[in-house]
Amino acid sequence: MLALLAVATPLGAQIDGGARARLAGRVPEAAIAAVDSLVRAAQADDLPTEPLVQKALEGAAKHAPPGRIVQAVAAHADQLRQARTLLERAGGPPPTAAEISSVAAAMVRGLPPPLAERIVTALPDEPPGPALHAVADLAGHGFAEDAAVDLIVASARVGLRGLRLLDVATAAVHELQRGATHGDALASVRRALPDVPSPPKPSPAQVNRARRPHPGV
Amino acid sequence: MSELDPRIHQVLDGELPLESLPPELQATVLRLERAAGLLRAAEAPAGVATRVLAALRRPPPGGSRRRRLLRWLTERHAVTIAMRPVWSLALAAVLAAVVLVPTHGTGPLLGAQEGIAQFVGHFPGARSVDVVGPFTDWRSGVIPLRDEDHDGVWSAVVVLPTGAHEYMFVVDGERWIADPLAGRYVSDGFGRQNALLIVRPVGR
Repeated sequence: MLALLAVATPLGAQIDGGARARLAGRVPEAAIAAVDSLVRAAQADDLPTEPLVQKALEGAAKHAPPGRIVQAVAAHADQLRQARTLLERAGGPPPTAAEISSVAAAMVRGLPPPLAERIVTALPDEPPGPALHAVADLAGHGFAEDAAVDLIVASARVGLRGLRLLDVATAAVHELQRGATHGDALASVRRALPDVPSPPKPSPAQVNRARRPHPGV
Repeated sequence: MSELDPRIHQVLDGELPLESLPPELQATVLRLERAAGLLRAAEAPAGVATRVLAALRRPPPGGSRRRRLLRWLTERHAVTIAMRPVWSLALAAVLAAVVLVPTHGTGPLLGAQEGIAQFVGHFPGARSVDVVGPFTDWRSGVIPLRDEDHDGVWSAVVVLPTGAHEYMFVVDGERWIADPLAGRYVSDGFGRQNALLIVRPVGR
C-alpha cells in the first residue's frame, strides 16, 4: 500500500481537477493524491470514475485510514476493469460507463466472473445489471448458481426483461419462504413463467412525500 | 279625483277671505286645513339620504386601531363587484378547472430514469437517523429520516435515479448501520457491508 501511495503521489501531485476538488476537505490529505491518480488512470482507460470518487468519499465518511481508502478505491478500479473486459468478451458494441458500473456493482455482490460472463453472453440484448442482480439475489438465498443462471436466462427468453428479472428471483425466494425446497421453488417459478408478480407501485401519497436529495447543499 | 274649485286655491293661498266663499266651499277649505295640520304633526320618516348624511356626520369611532379593525371586520358591509360577463365566465372556467381537473398532488416531477425509494428503520431512542450513500455523496444530513409519532420507526421517501444504490443508516451522527430489512448487501471494502437498493422507474 505504501508503494501504491508512493507511486501514485507524483502523478496526482501534478493534477488538479474535478475529482480532487470533490475530495478536498473530506478525504484525508494523505489519500487524496493517490485517489486522484487512480481516478485519472481510470479516466485514461475509459472507465467510469464516479464510482471511484464515491468509494473514496465513503471511506472518508466511515473514518477509514488513508491507506485503506486508497486500497478500496484501487480494488474498485480493478472491478471496473474486470467488468469492462467481461462485457467486451461478450461481444457487441463497446460497453457504456453505465453498463460497466452496473456489472461491477453486481459482481461486488460475489458473483464469480465466469458466471457473470455466462449471463452476459447468454443475454446479449439485455441490460446486464438486472440479470446479474437477479442471479446474485438467488445465489444470496442459497440457490445453486448454475440453476439460478438457467432460471434467469429462461425468464429472459420468455419475454421478461430488465428489472422484471428481479421479480423472478423474488418469486423464487417467496416460494422458499413458503416452505418449498430450493429445487421445488425454482421448478415452481419456471412453470409459472412469464407470470411472476410485480412489486407494488409507489402510491401517489408516497410520490408526493418524496424529497429529492441535494448532496451539495 | 275631482278638481277643486279655483276659489278654494285662492283662499288657501290667502288671496281671498274664507268668508267670501259659499258655505259648502268654506267647509271644504276647513277640511283641507285640518288634513294639512295632521300631516304636519306626523314625523317624517328618515330617508336613505338622511341616514347617509347622519352616518357621515357621526364622529370617528374611538378605540385602538386593532379595535377599529376588529369592528370593521365583524360589521356587515355591502360589497359590490362590477365585472364584465366575459370575465365572469373566465373566472367560472378557472374555478371549474381547479375543482374538477384531477391533479397528482404537489410531489416532485419524476424523470423517466427516476424512481421512489422508501427508507424505513426501527431505531427506538435515536435522536437522529440519516440515510447516506452515493446519492448524498456519503454525507449525513442530506436525507434525514423522520419519526413524527415518536414510535421509534424512522422513515424517508426519496427520489433517486433508477438502478442499484448502496446505502447505510447513520444513527445519532455516529453509528453506521446497514439496513437490516434491505435483503441485499455488498461488501463496502472497509470491512463492513452496505445495504443495496434497486430503484425502479415509477410507472413501470
